[in-house]
Amino acid sequence: MSQTQSPRPTKFISHLLGAWTIAVMVFLYLPIVLLFVYSFNSSSQAIRWQSFTVAWYGRLWHDHELVDGLINSLIIAAFTTGISLMLGTAAAWLLYRYQFPGRRLIDALLLIPLIIPEVVMGVSLLALFVVMRWDVGFATTIVAHVTFCFPFVMVGVRARLEGLDPSLEEAAMDLGATPLVAFTRVIVPYLRPAIISGGLLAFALSMDELIVTSFTASPESYTLPIRIYGRARLGLDPSLNAISALLIAFTTLLVLAAERLRRLHTGRAVATAGSLS
Amino acid sequence: MNDQQLADRHFARRSRQVSRRSFNAGILAPVVGAALLPLGCRRSIRSGSASEPLNLLAWSEYVPPAVIDGFTKETGIKVSYATYSSNEEMLSKLLAGGTKYDLIQPSEYTVEALVRQSKLAPLNFDRIPNLANIAPDMLHLPYDPEQKYSVPYMSGTVGIVVNTHKVAKPVRGYRGVFRPEHRGRIVVVDDPREMVSWAMNTLGLNINEVTPQALERVKPVLANWIPLIQAFNSDSPKTPLIDGDVDLGVVFSGDAAICYQQDRKFQYVLPEEGAHRFIDNLCVPTGAPHQATAEQFINYILRPDVSRLISDKFPYTNPNLAARKLLTADQLANPASYPPTAGKLETFRDIGAMSSEVDKMVTDLRVKYGR
Amino acid sequence: MTPMPTATGLTTAGRPPGVAGWALMAPLATWLGLFVAAPLVILLAYSFCQRDALGQVVPAFSTHNYARVFDVVYLRILGSSIFYAGLTTILCGIVGYPVAYYMGRAPPRRQSRLLMLVMIPFWASFLIRTYAWMTILKENGLLNGLLYAARIIPDVLSGPMHLMYTPFAVVLGLVYSYLPFMILPIYGSVERLDGSLIEAAADLGAGPLRTFGRVILPLTWPGIAAGAMLVFVPSIGMFAVTDLMGGNRVLMVGNVIQNQFQGAGRDKPFGAALGVTLMALFAVSYLLAARSRRDRTR
Repeated sequence: MSQTQSPRPTKFISHLLGAWTIAVMVFLYLPIVLLFVYSFNSSSQAIRWQSFTVAWYGRLWHDHELVDGLINSLIIAAFTTGISLMLGTAAAWLLYRYQFPGRRLIDALLLIPLIIPEVVMGVSLLALFVVMRWDVGFATTIVAHVTFCFPFVMVGVRARLEGLDPSLEEAAMDLGATPLVAFTRVIVPYLRPAIISGGLLAFALSMDELIVTSFTASPESYTLPIRIYGRARLGLDPSLNAISALLIAFTTLLVLAAERLRRLHTGRAVATAGSLS
Repeated sequence: MNDQQLADRHFARRSRQVSRRSFNAGILAPVVGAALLPLGCRRSIRSGSASEPLNLLAWSEYVPPAVIDGFTKETGIKVSYATYSSNEEMLSKLLAGGTKYDLIQPSEYTVEALVRQSKLAPLNFDRIPNLANIAPDMLHLPYDPEQKYSVPYMSGTVGIVVNTHKVAKPVRGYRGVFRPEHRGRIVVVDDPREMVSWAMNTLGLNINEVTPQALERVKPVLANWIPLIQAFNSDSPKTPLIDGDVDLGVVFSGDAAICYQQDRKFQYVLPEEGAHRFIDNLCVPTGAPHQATAEQFINYILRPDVSRLISDKFPYTNPNLAARKLLTADQLANPASYPPTAGKLETFRDIGAMSSEVDKMVTDLRVKYGR
Repeated sequence: MTPMPTATGLTTAGRPPGVAGWALMAPLATWLGLFVAAPLVILLAYSFCQRDALGQVVPAFSTHNYARVFDVVYLRILGSSIFYAGLTTILCGIVGYPVAYYMGRAPPRRQSRLLMLVMIPFWASFLIRTYAWMTILKENGLLNGLLYAARIIPDVLSGPMHLMYTPFAVVLGLVYSYLPFMILPIYGSVERLDGSLIEAAADLGAGPLRTFGRVILPLTWPGIAAGAMLVFVPSIGMFAVTDLMGGNRVLMVGNVIQNQFQGAGRDKPFGAALGVTLMALFAVSYLLAARSRRDRTR
């Protein structure tokens, strides 16, 4: 009975799922598209369309708050990504490779930034900086960002390490490589996908973070999300439409480029494999 | 199986998807990083140089960007600007440590509290000759009788804005605002001391005699009012009014004046029960790293042409008589900025340790009765 | 963490670290100690202090911050925060699961297209996406404008929908912000699902509902759990969305804590006590979940 009946409900369900997916995509994209369209609206009132203009984009250039915020965000995200990659990879390697006292403790401490609500992390770091008498600013913000980013890097790298064939490293050592050379020539290339994705994740997390940053940044180091939040609290603002549209366009380009590069890469790999055979 | 592995598994999945998509795009990451490193260096070199920025901690929507840019243009000194939306929030940020501010904008009662705790630096008035522009009746007030620590910035009142197109019945005081039929149509400033003072005025109590007994009487009044309120907003209470998200507000007079400028349907009412008249000041906290620059900035702000820019953008009552001469007749006729009739107005005095009780009571009430 | 035996049976995890290992360990341990453990210890210490009139922390031992946290009022705010965060998580699950499933079972080309479509909002800032909804939901926003244009409501002045500053707006904002965080991990586990298992279930006569309940759901459970964690944890401490979409009125515990440290509440020790309580709640529920999982696998 199942042989004759099963395809039909399955097909029906699949259509239903497809329709639902389309609906959810519309839900996800409609606000973004509207934001994009209305960033070209000459009226500062959102409710009606007046005429097409790019004036809001022109104004962004002179908006020091937002421009400085963007520069600060990029600086902080760049440093955060670099430090997180080093710390995260080191942590993953240590936990993968060695047995040592206090291992469980380190494991637990690494888990905390992943499960702690951001607001608690923010106030606890602020409390630390106050007790240590560190002026908040770029350094404290980078410290905070690294603290919640590098465990994500660690988790990704560690997952990849668990698939590592130990004989790979041994083979390299047998061929006369020192442990360091074996590490840099064998292990690091193997970990590259995890390191790259971890780096991207750290960069994105840092660029997007608002809650922790609101406790650890000073006016001088205010990031773009803090500035956008401050503006949004004052009400609708066409400059926000414009900068949001730019950021979304940038994100989209990045995702598209990633996809294109991946396809190119697989294409080349296939071609190489073909020429070898 | 254990926790770590589970967590690993979650994130491994997530990062795997990420990695598949972005494996090669990841090549971009180092490129971007390399492009940014010089920026980081330039930044750190610059912040170490002689012209360090002035750290201003000011009310949001109070110091126009044109004023700050003008100062930077004239002196080459950058101003970094953090905002707050209540005196309590300012104290939180100032006293949290972490950031050293050069200039703050406390209201009268907060100046009094800060002076009491020796948190303000005496100003060097030789650097501030433009103080002469300030109306004499705005100086030597009880919160700073010797005029040692503060320079008046703007003053104003906290009163009622009514959208007369939506609210037909005339509103004369707090009682008229906080009525059940206005549920969900009210915005108020997010400020515990203010809210308590409205209730005290309504009860006929002296707003500066905040005692535990008085608070006991205030409590049921606020418990009735809080559920009616749609939004607490001290940053820009005018926004929900102008946008039509609410019809009534108990807001700062500067916001009310902007509403009135935008549309005459907005009416400003000084509550008949009595209202708070505030005087916001420029002060330098003790330990400020750049006191001389701060004083330079204060003197700049007091210049008529600069002070006028502030009034253009944020139409509070300008205590700067020289600047007032530059204002248009329209600006001076705005009933929210320059009220034609003096209502029953009073400034706040520092209430010392009772302020903790006020904060606590309002926080508790908002958590309990806020919808 | 138990050492993982590797495929060859050669366990490399058992080795004690040499000089290089300890050199790697030092920065890591310092970082974790200084920036993860120490802040929490200081927060704990704060929570037993008191405040002065200006809002400074006074080191005078007191437990009354905890007495206040365990007052009915604040237990309710914790409860309602858990409720809103839980509702957000469940709604994300209900909305996101079918999408993730459809994506995971789609042919590769469509799969990668759909994945890209989810990735874009995943990478785009939640703040921008919340702001997008503000422009829609405001009284003079796009939704009311559309309804007006379509003559569903007579004019802008009378009878627009009041949507901003409501719990509805807050939950909508949270679901919208975190939906991609639910879809991606579920998609990951669906994609790994062995299709032959589903076919086998169908061959054995199981209807689609039964197959889903008995085969698909248990196998994709890790993805759901991961998604739930990625949605629930940030939702419960969020104060920006509740502030922007809820008019700072729909209070969640995140708003109360933030208000004590940076807002008008200025009672840092009390905020610290709330933070410690929240943290303890998380730790306990996490340990319970871990234990029940261990029991099940045993």
